[in-house]
Amino acid sequence: MKSLKRIVALAAIAAGSLGFLAGPAQSQQGSPVRIGSTLALTGPLSATALVHKLTGEIYVEDLNKRGGLLGRKVEWIVKDDQSKPEVARTLYEQLVTSDKVDLLMGPYATGAILSAMGVAQRYNKILIHHTFGIPSLAKYDMHFPAWSLGPDPGTTVPNTLFDALAAAPKPPKTIAVVTSKFPSVHFMSLGAREVAKKRGLQEVLFLEWEFGNRDFGPIAARVKDAKPDLVFVGDIGLEGNMLLEAMKKLDYEPPLHFHLYPAPGPMATAPEGKNALSVTIFEEHAPYTNNPVAAKFVATYNERAKAAGFPYAKVEVQAAASFTAWQLLEAAVTATKSFDDRKLADWLKANQVPTIQGTLRFDRGNNFGDDLMRIKQVQGGNWVTVWPKAWAAPGASLKMQ
Amino acid sequence: MSRTIVLGILGAGIALGFLPWLGVPAFYESFLYLLFHWMILAVSWNILSGYTGYFSFGHGAFFGAGIYATAYLAGRAGWPFLATVPAAILVAALLGVVLGAIVFRVSSVRGELFALLTLAVTFVLATVILNTPVDGGPGIYLIGVDIPVLGPSQSASIYMMGLITATLTLLISYWIYASKFGTGLFAIHDDEDVAEVMGVPTYRFKLYALAISCGLAGLAGGIHALFVSYVTVSETFSITVPLSVVLMSILGGSRHWIGPAVGAVLITCLLYYFTSGESAVLGRAAVGFILVVVILFMPAGVLGLVSGWRHNKRVRVAAEAAASAAPVHAAEAAPVARLPARRHIVAEPLLQVRGLSKAFSGVKALNDVTLEVYKGEILGLIGPNGSGKSTFINVVSGHYKPTAGEILFEGQSLAGQDAHRFAQAGIARTYQIPRPFSHMSVLENVAMVGMFGGGGMSRAEALREAQTFIEFAGLSHRAHALPDDLNLHQRKFLELARALAARPKLLLLDEVLSGLTPGEINEAIEMIQRIRDRGTTIVFVEHVMRAVMALTDRIVVLNHGALIAQGDASAVMNEEAVKAAYLGKAHA
Repeated sequence: MKSLKRIVALAAIAAGSLGFLAGPAQSQQGSPVRIGSTLALTGPLSATALVHKLTGEIYVEDLNKRGGLLGRKVEWIVKDDQSKPEVARTLYEQLVTSDKVDLLMGPYATGAILSAMGVAQRYNKILIHHTFGIPSLAKYDMHFPAWSLGPDPGTTVPNTLFDALAAAPKPPKTIAVVTSKFPSVHFMSLGAREVAKKRGLQEVLFLEWEFGNRDFGPIAARVKDAKPDLVFVGDIGLEGNMLLEAMKKLDYEPPLHFHLYPAPGPMATAPEGKNALSVTIFEEHAPYTNNPVAAKFVATYNERAKAAGFPYAKVEVQAAASFTAWQLLEAAVTATKSFDDRKLADWLKANQVPTIQGTLRFDRGNNFGDDLMRIKQVQGGNWVTVWPKAWAAPGASLKMQ
Repeated sequence: MSRTIVLGILGAGIALGFLPWLGVPAFYESFLYLLFHWMILAVSWNILSGYTGYFSFGHGAFFGAGIYATAYLAGRAGWPFLATVPAAILVAALLGVVLGAIVFRVSSVRGELFALLTLAVTFVLATVILNTPVDGGPGIYLIGVDIPVLGPSQSASIYMMGLITATLTLLISYWIYASKFGTGLFAIHDDEDVAEVMGVPTYRFKLYALAISCGLAGLAGGIHALFVSYVTVSETFSITVPLSVVLMSILGGSRHWIGPAVGAVLITCLLYYFTSGESAVLGRAAVGFILVVVILFMPAGVLGLVSGWRHNKRVRVAAEAAASAAPVHAAEAAPVARLPARRHIVAEPLLQVRGLSKAFSGVKALNDVTLEVYKGEILGLIGPNGSGKSTFINVVSGHYKPTAGEILFEGQSLAGQDAHRFAQAGIARTYQIPRPFSHMSVLENVAMVGMFGGGGMSRAEALREAQTFIEFAGLSHRAHALPDDLNLHQRKFLELARALAARPKLLLLDEVLSGLTPGEINEAIEMIQRIRDRGTTIVFVEHVMRAVMALTDRIVVLNHGALIAQGDASAVMNEEAVKAAYLGKAHA
């Protein structure tokens, strides 16, 4: 019987501990609009999550100064998903079923977004999210991507890159595709291979590495031996920097090198990152900053990011996608004068929304719209957009080695 | 096995099974699912690593094997989810068994080597999955997979799967903990070589434990694939899984059946308590700090602390009872009980050793030894240091395999077989330096041998019998003490009690008298005589000659690994070869 009593006591303690996890009561009319999110504030993805957190704070502060949403102040509840999709799922369950937030705002990484999307789908909540990398996986009809990749980025993004290169003084004829097997990177690299083939580029090398690889010496040597005109690097984070450092040790500098998702700061400031190409939706220069909303955001972000000690205090893809997500939510609520998830979703599907990265729409495959990805290049230690010309920094054009 | 505990586990499982119908927010189902998930992983890890001490960092591999078995079959091959569950269990268990079948054969792969090897398996498996059509890079998406209806919603169904598996895992963990199998695993943890010599089929037991551990991890993986719904190699095979389960088990107490579950609950709740955006980083730091403090000050974990209190209390009560019963002798020896004497049989050979040799890197420690041990006799085995006496005991108890020669026990050949076969045939031994199982009480040490030695008793029976042997050895007042709490004399007597509990036909005593005081030697001699009186045949290796002369019926003398004399004790001691072996040759 003593054992039974102990078990009962343990069960009581467990039940009590759950009480700590319960959130406040349901919001009422006139009280703040509560918007719930998770971000990877700790764990391996935390560096980028801080960008999204700062952006959200800036936006919500500004929104509240402007009177909030439909006259109600906005309260943003952020929880730490610890860089784990399963935790993101549970926390979104908590936000919806226990905290009973009015609206959801998505996390930023593909795995966490998919987890959040599953929860949103079960409870018929609209989910606007930041940087979702694999459009084919997003099947929910009330999800809305703030990162304007288009429904088929594996084809459209490489085409944009090759268009840019075709307009350069000496277009490449041969290509080496080397790529990480990180899911949201890998399918883009495979797409680039297909597009390159169709456009008549000769593939002289294709190599893959596992995400987490640190030894890029052999890959650099193979690239050097292949002598490609263009190296398409399917990298994420610091992988591209490591590859370029390995090439430097071999006294090799590729004529043209494109990087899919490099860490923006390290790539821009490293000497071997000179002339590196990549994709962007927003950079801190005209014509993006001709938009006064963007200009104001850039100024505030720069100041707050520096004060917070961010290693890279400029607005680029992550911050811009995050800002865009809030713009979409505000636009939908303002237009529909409602917090009803279905009404907001229907409005977004039927309308176009001007944002700091351009005009977004969601009427194509899996709620994706136009591919607004542009090509940027490291020039003078900064990223500048070089393609298409309409979005290029004043006076900037693609440079070769 | 306590019925109350089994009913408690089942009762808690059934009670929690009502949760989805109580209208609580679905978040609790999701959160409790994660609690169950970590409980399953931590408890299943503990079945191998906590119970046997084979510290695995490869639990992520077995969990990942289960995840990918389900993800591939349900997400790519279109199998219904429930059909993938047995596959998830089997794939993980098979992976573990194949690994164990190789690794457990190599005695040097223990401790950190085993941990590193299992970690390497994780990386190898991740590489294979990433570079084959199983995944190939993009991950596997399971949103379209139908979830079996076990509750009023999808979340509730997954919750129920987690609950059922966690209940099953706890039942299995407790069953093993309270069974003969579990006792064998704990013996492996404390001293694997001794466990094998005492009759535990260590290789087989480790394989079983690994298969169960991996199978449960695979099952947890299969369900988790459905929970996360998007499976990628980097998430699945991250270091988080093995690190978390190790931490949970250590925090809760890895020597207890429910310890890892307690650790899983504590850590998961702590991590969730700090998920607020404002305190996330601080919270993680706090969790880390709490863990460091707990591990520093509670190395045996929360349950270890509780068990420690209970153990100390039992020892104190026993000591007080003994002190009040016999205040003068309580500290050293309880009243010695006499066992009923058995018939004394002589003349028929029990053990026949023919041409027995054992070489270590070319050095012959035993050289072509042939002798017989007759039923019921005490055979003295003497010789100078390095003559091969202990090697003989080690070979005849199965600890070493002979280089050449035959060992016939009751006419059956044992040479080349695993040591536990020797024990099960009826051969028991003591160690010159006592080697008790350090985390088992005196009672458990003795009972364990009753289970796996020649007696082959059930756990309950062995525990009852152990009381008798402890009393016989005068250790009843220390029944709940740990070996570290005993003095040398008591430890030597524990060795004897343990050997007796095996109900041996042949008892090999390896210098049981060394290190004892003259008074203690007299007690030991008396006890050995009483053992012989029960009809047990004894091979008695000893340097204390007065004991040899007093106890033995015959003696055998070894020198440089070879048998140089045998026969009546006083006659043999007068042989020139024996004198020369002990005193050296005269060169006048």
